[in-house]
Amino acid sequence: MNHTLQKKQKKALWIMALLGALIIVSLLVSLHTGVIQIGPVDVMKTIFGAGTDRQELVLFDFRLPRLVIAILVGAGLAVSGAILQGVSQNGLADPGILGINAGAGLAVVLYMYFSEGLNSSLGTMSIFIMPFMALIGATLAAVLIYLLAWKNGVSPIRLILVGIGVNAAFGAALIIFQLKMNPRDFMQATIWLSGSIWGTNWKYVLATLPWIVILVPLAMYKARFLNVLNLGDRLATGLGTRVESERRILLFIAVCLAGSSVAVAGGIAFLGLVAPHLARRLVGPRHQMLIPTSALMGALLLLVADMIGRNLLAPSEIPVGIVVSALGAPYFIYLLMRTN
Amino acid sequence: MSSLTTEGLRIGYGDVTIVDDLNVHIPNGQITMIIGPNGCGKSTILQTMARLLRPKSGAVYLDGKAIHQQSTKEIAKKMAILPQTPEAPSGLTVYELVSYGRSPHQRGFGKLTHEDKDIVGWALDVTGVAAFANRSIDALSGGQRQKVWIAMALAQETELLLLDEPTTYLDLAHQLEVLKLLDRLNREENRTIVMVLHDLNHAARFADNLLALNSGEVVKEGSASEVMTPDVLRDVFQIDAEVVEDPRTGRPALITYDLLDSRMNQTPTFEGTGT
Repeated sequence: MNHTLQKKQKKALWIMALLGALIIVSLLVSLHTGVIQIGPVDVMKTIFGAGTDRQELVLFDFRLPRLVIAILVGAGLAVSGAILQGVSQNGLADPGILGINAGAGLAVVLYMYFSEGLNSSLGTMSIFIMPFMALIGATLAAVLIYLLAWKNGVSPIRLILVGIGVNAAFGAALIIFQLKMNPRDFMQATIWLSGSIWGTNWKYVLATLPWIVILVPLAMYKARFLNVLNLGDRLATGLGTRVESERRILLFIAVCLAGSSVAVAGGIAFLGLVAPHLARRLVGPRHQMLIPTSALMGALLLLVADMIGRNLLAPSEIPVGIVVSALGAPYFIYLLMRTN
Repeated sequence: MSSLTTEGLRIGYGDVTIVDDLNVHIPNGQITMIIGPNGCGKSTILQTMARLLRPKSGAVYLDGKAIHQQSTKEIAKKMAILPQTPEAPSGLTVYELVSYGRSPHQRGFGKLTHEDKDIVGWALDVTGVAAFANRSIDALSGGQRQKVWIAMALAQETELLLLDEPTTYLDLAHQLEVLKLLDRLNREENRTIVMVLHDLNHAARFADNLLALNSGEVVKEGSASEVMTPDVLRDVFQIDAEVVEDPRTGRPALITYDLLDSRMNQTPTFEGTGT
């Protein structure tokens, strides 16, 4: 009986290894599919440095950074969702529903709107400024939600309800500013908001990587607090947890993850909801296993969604966010029906 | 030995004061049961003792030091609290939940040490739930689930154990099973146990020390034979009680009761509604 946890852990590690393998397979498949066909053999050749210049350009400068972004953003949103679901004790929480994505989106749209005259919204600097804008927006949204939900501490149910309200308000503000934009920026903002990873290059990767590399392990380090917060405030306090301050730290981690992901990939909805759910079904609610599994699951889902978005109507592309929504919304409805 | 006392405790929600100037001392190594009518503040007092609620004034002292001046983690090493009808996330296994009891002793990533595993194993054994260790909590019956929660509290390795109505929603046999388990922990492990209980006969049977409360005040404190008297029960519950000696345990037992006349007059009458 002393080996029960190890057994479950071993199973979880196998699941993670499987997800990792699936990610590598999707990565290789994604590399060789696209408008410019490069066969699997040529892909391998190019990876090992024996490809043509053209092949190297397509693979390393066009396709690979985009796939790396898909992995980073997928992992970031999934872990953000896993944290929010744990902190709020509500399986339906995710950065999209709580208005954190909308906050990030609003900040980025405002930035596009006001920098319109400077014509710099696609410039090099903006790649690094956008994540910060998104982060500021996400943090402001989170602070607003936290303050409005405060009533001698923050109860999880208030957090969710206030979050939904803030989401609606920010969504409305987004539309107001978008309608005031010129048509070109409007299109750009719309594509960005629906969630896309087009035209990503290594600079985007560089801007996102540090956030994910620091915050995902930090979330894992906080896993044991998430475990007890998930039992409710009274039990968590009884088990020696500083509930309010741990919750604040965890919310901050979730907000930074969502903000930095939204900054490069726009408002990808439902991924932060679906990925932790699937992961929980596979490895259970213990966060030491749930967080890494969610991260892998999110990365895999976004890679696959991207693959579908690129190939379904090729040569035109469907924004990845729309693919995720198309797949995620039915799952969300299924979850809602099951909770009652 | 950890000691628990309250001094001049005033507790309330908003403008409503529920408890005013409460001074109690929880005797070490004994089972203390808090009894009283609905809304008398039993649960509120227990939760304040466990620092889940903050008093408006006064203080709870754990080992002579005010509880709000100690770190919550240090308190959790001395005192475990099991609130009423706790809930576990679905899919969590018994072993995992009981291992969460090690929280106050853990650091870093929360990996279980050998010592942690030994204590979790012991807690599972002593509560008789080791056979379900792999099962999901959702799949257990109410009685089994309650024992799992007690196992989690035991894994905390504390001298003090506070429980809020641990027998709610359990059938007669399971109620007794839980109480006998706690009784055994008290005698064999010398744990100090404080619990809120509704069933007076159970309270009289298992408590070394009874606290009878009404409107946030201690009406009577003492052994079962001192507290379980018709006079005290009249003051506390407004009932006309008949108490006898339980032939099996030798403890006082309530065999029948009625509402007091004064209270009878408050109940609605049915005059004029007949045919």
